[in-house]
Amino acid sequence: MEDVLTENPPPSRFFQEDLNNFASPPPEPLPSPFIVFSNPKPELPLKPSLLIIALSSPSLYIFHTLPSKTLIGTLIIPELPFSGNTVEPSLQDKSCNIYSLSDNNNNNNSVLLVSVQLPVPPERSNLVSRLLVGQDIVPARVIILDSIQSRNFRGRLSPDEALAAKLETSSEKKAAATSRLSLDYFPSGSVIDGLSASLLSRCQLKNIRGTLVVSWPEFDPSVVRFVGALLKSIVPSLDIKSVDKDLEKYSSRTGLKRDAWLDSDLYT
Amino acid sequence: MLNIFILQCINIYYNIYRKKRVRAYCNIEVKLSIGNVGQLAVDLLVSSTGADRVGYLDDPNLLPCVGNDAYGPLPCGEIALPLERVLYESSSTATTLAQQRSPVAKVLHFFYLYNIADLAASSGKKHVIVLSSLDFQRPQHNLNMSRGPQVYYLSNAEASERDDHCERLGFGRLDEYDSEERCWKYLSSVFEENCKEELTFHSEDELEDIDYYPSLPFAALFSAFKARGLKVTCLLCYCSEGDNIPDAFFLAEAASKLTSLSPDKFHGGGKWQIPYSWKSMYGASPDMSMF
Repeated sequence: MEDVLTENPPPSRFFQEDLNNFASPPPEPLPSPFIVFSNPKPELPLKPSLLIIALSSPSLYIFHTLPSKTLIGTLIIPELPFSGNTVEPSLQDKSCNIYSLSDNNNNNNSVLLVSVQLPVPPERSNLVSRLLVGQDIVPARVIILDSIQSRNFRGRLSPDEALAAKLETSSEKKAAATSRLSLDYFPSGSVIDGLSASLLSRCQLKNIRGTLVVSWPEFDPSVVRFVGALLKSIVPSLDIKSVDKDLEKYSSRTGLKRDAWLDSDLYT
Repeated sequence: MLNIFILQCINIYYNIYRKKRVRAYCNIEVKLSIGNVGQLAVDLLVSSTGADRVGYLDDPNLLPCVGNDAYGPLPCGEIALPLERVLYESSSTATTLAQQRSPVAKVLHFFYLYNIADLAASSGKKHVIVLSSLDFQRPQHNLNMSRGPQVYYLSNAEASERDDHCERLGFGRLDEYDSEERCWKYLSSVFEENCKEELTFHSEDELEDIDYYPSLPFAALFSAFKARGLKVTCLLCYCSEGDNIPDAFFLAEAASKLTSLSPDKFHGGGKWQIPYSWKSMYGASPDMSMF
């Protein structure tokens, strides 16, 4: 373990190689991500009234338990392997599935859900967000559900205290107050990066109503209940009864994080 | 009227905020650097001048990030994106400031710079000022600390590579700039359309101490703007990672002198206004309940 008194402080939100024009030359360009839709292929672009994108573990868990959803497509990032994925969607899959909450065959699905269960590299986030917002899918409103990133958060995060905050696009701020989510704003000075940031940026640039909701802790039954209640307030017809049924097993499924102390450097 | 601009991006979303043609001519740009001093200096300038956000610049090569409004006085929920453009106007000057909050995707750095330089040139900007910082731990051949901290400049204003205006303001020329040195020549060749000389890329392993300056992001931006025929001035100061607020003030004051954005014209009545987001710069205060 390095000496915290003498080691150089970490750089501010970037790596040293970001300050070098002559870092390794660019590799061969990768094929772009794309969406594969199920048969029959719907008329594109899809124009749902609401697109909800789950990135946080609590929201992914809720999406997985929702009974009345139809798988209509999946987003592929070519360099990420499928090995280990099951035939039927599973929480352990590395996938990005798109579901419709309507089970009719109407091309203009009213509510679409996206479960982002794969680690989208930051440099690919902009391409992925363009597919989901403004290209193959043009939603009227977007809700993005992610977790607070402790590395980018300047406030205090306690493992025992649940938090939630939001960021909105200008279009969302102008919408009727009753239709907006009643949450505190994400504090100034902290940032959110990655795919959720790219998605909200895309909404802002396209003048689409968009809200990014971030919650803490990353794995906690109370956060699952909170996110479930939040989704129910946005989509009253959502059936979230089955969320509570298996909630006791939720923590065991996320055992990797609960036992994170075993990976601490103190025990090397 | 000076024409300064920070420019970048394929698209400029002016209509996000107002349908107003931005006729500013002076642009202040920032590049990621040690201590984020350039970014802090632009935050200070935006907060103190009361400049209005006029748009976001959308570039696919920037890594994404979002946050709440950085300037205040309260966190109003106005979204902040990776690259923003704000406009300060007075009766005598119009200056745009661009704030970059996240790095460029590592392998796409030069694409980003092409976009930025193209946009700056096509929007009629005449003068670009780049704010950045240098690592104090790196070898400095001519660093003279006897007169206290010093702002250094790099300019293409004159063929001699000197700038009388900067020198009258007390800025020192960055003597480590040598347009004939291999890495500076390589940067020029990357951005000049009619460059006939084929220069080879230098891998990181071949770099020496003298290559530190052209390896920095500001050097690439300087080369990109220069190749587009823009007048570009880089203002630089040496610093270390740590509390870089004093460095930010130092660099912001230098920029304000160069652009005649004097504090007495600021909306706060002649004083620098600390951005709201700086309150949490060093994280939350320690939990005293343990004591």
